[in-house]
Amino acid sequence: MFAGGGKTVFYPKKCPRVRPAPCEFPIIGVPTGEPLCTIPSGYRPNRKCTYMDYAIETNHLSKNYGQVCAVDSVDLHVQPGEIYGFLGLNGAGKTTTIRALLGMIRPSSGSVQVLGQPVGPNGRGPWRRIGHMVESPAAYPELTVLENLEIARRLQGVTDKNATLRVIEQLGIAAYRNRKAGTLSTGNFHRLGLARALLHQPELLILDEPASGLDPAGVVEIRELITRLAREQGLTVFMSSHILTEVDRIATRIGVIHKGRLIEELEADKLIEIRARRLEIKTRDLAAAQCVLSEAGYAVSANEDKLSTGDQRAIDAPEEVATLLVNAGTPPTRLAVEQENLEDYFLRLTGETI
Amino acid sequence: MNTFIASFWAESLKVRRSLITLATAGGFMLLPIVGGLFMIILKDPENAKNLGLISTKAQLVGGVADWPSHFGILKTGMAIAGFILFSIITSWVFGREFADHTVKELLALPTPRTVIVASKFVIIGLWVLLLSILIFAAGLIAGWLVDIPGWSSALLWSSFGSYMLIVGLTYMLMPVAALIASIGRGYLLPLGWTFLAMALAQILGVLGWGEWFPWTVPGLLSELTGPSVEALGIHSYMVVFLTFVVGLSATIIWWRSADQSR
Repeated sequence: MFAGGGKTVFYPKKCPRVRPAPCEFPIIGVPTGEPLCTIPSGYRPNRKCTYMDYAIETNHLSKNYGQVCAVDSVDLHVQPGEIYGFLGLNGAGKTTTIRALLGMIRPSSGSVQVLGQPVGPNGRGPWRRIGHMVESPAAYPELTVLENLEIARRLQGVTDKNATLRVIEQLGIAAYRNRKAGTLSTGNFHRLGLARALLHQPELLILDEPASGLDPAGVVEIRELITRLAREQGLTVFMSSHILTEVDRIATRIGVIHKGRLIEELEADKLIEIRARRLEIKTRDLAAAQCVLSEAGYAVSANEDKLSTGDQRAIDAPEEVATLLVNAGTPPTRLAVEQENLEDYFLRLTGETI
Repeated sequence: MNTFIASFWAESLKVRRSLITLATAGGFMLLPIVGGLFMIILKDPENAKNLGLISTKAQLVGGVADWPSHFGILKTGMAIAGFILFSIITSWVFGREFADHTVKELLALPTPRTVIVASKFVIIGLWVLLLSILIFAAGLIAGWLVDIPGWSSALLWSSFGSYMLIVGLTYMLMPVAALIASIGRGYLLPLGWTFLAMALAQILGVLGWGEWFPWTVPGLLSELTGPSVEALGIHSYMVVFLTFVVGLSATIIWWRSADQSR
């Protein structure tokens, strides 16, 4: 990570971690701003070293299956060090996008660059620096956990023989190392899939529905693991999910895909701000209260046992509403500004209804 | 680390740990056992008549209990059972990656897909070579136990040579099965193809076109299909070789280029 000139750039691990001149004094660090290293004294910029602005970049990425458009002109820009939550309903195009990022499918149009390199279906790509888990994890059921990971280690070209044991410890599956993968519980099978993805200490982790099929404890565990990896190792994470609350807790930025199109992209902390707020009022005489508020110019709707208004004046000054109702003889029994829950926001955004 | 060695190691581990290794070895072992049984029947015709259908079939195939007949049964068996078992092995090596959904773990790797496909073909080749030699050795033991006449070193080596040629030609037909397993993403399609190819081989052999049909050539060489081995010419071997090259190339191209969307 380089903070200079107001632009964030990222250097591949194997390149000298400085931007070719001219540049300001560079500091490489994780998004928290903690410096990892500084320019070595006497360093001469390597002209072959390229730097990238994004860990993942797609330009007008589209994928059609016959008449069906699975992904429609998606422009993704994932910055290094981010945990990017890729949200969408089932069939929205999340997995197709991820398969395109991993070169498993050929885009109908558009381009994909991952860690600064183009990705193609013929096996091109910076795979040594990417860990992935697409849909449900897969393993050879007749092989043990250790053997499955040993295969992954060799195919990844990792020469450190301790890498397998290290990742087994990291994922907490050391007790199952000699168990056949086919006999593992769903949670441990997931851990094996993640261990495979993390074995070669990638810079970028691409996960497709990583919490799918896990029990609540497993979901929390995976979430904490991803957060920890991102924080401690500066790992960039791109993870898809259809569970908004799950992504909300972990992601630093969120993209929403719907019917193949990227319809929203925002910082996670903005999610609170943009969700609609409403003033909810409970009173003993709903009809009278609604009449009073309507006469005062508030747009109020009755909903089962309460009144609700999205009127900004009411949200900003609920005490005025309370005063109005008390003076009219229908005092509120409950008055609260409620924020739209994530699911409702998501459904509103996608235009879907339950 | 050499990517091919890594990929080959991975393939060999899968084969070593799989039950299908034992299953195919067991299947192949039927060949020398049946060969030995035929020799027992033919050696004692009086007793053979009491066995009904089996003895009738034995008379049709061989006629006399000696080493040339015994080797002939081994070669014929290899042309039929070998093709089926080689196809099962190939279908498993390629098809299991799709059936177990492990193929997606093989695509976004520093190890090129071409290397992965090549290592699969090498492991199949070594697997069937080992099994074929094992079967021939077991056939020798069976013939020795039954104590049949007509042994000579020259016969042994010529029979072993043509036996291994059948093995080699049958192996060269496997890339097509691998391609079908990859396109069909599983075991069923290549196994269906195996039986279709066998049926076509029989029909075309009988019609006299066998020398031009790759799947008939091993059978012709074993003198199983068609009127005579003399029909085979260099063109027949070329057809098989061409099938190998086309099948192998198509499988590699498919792995490199096809959408892996499932």
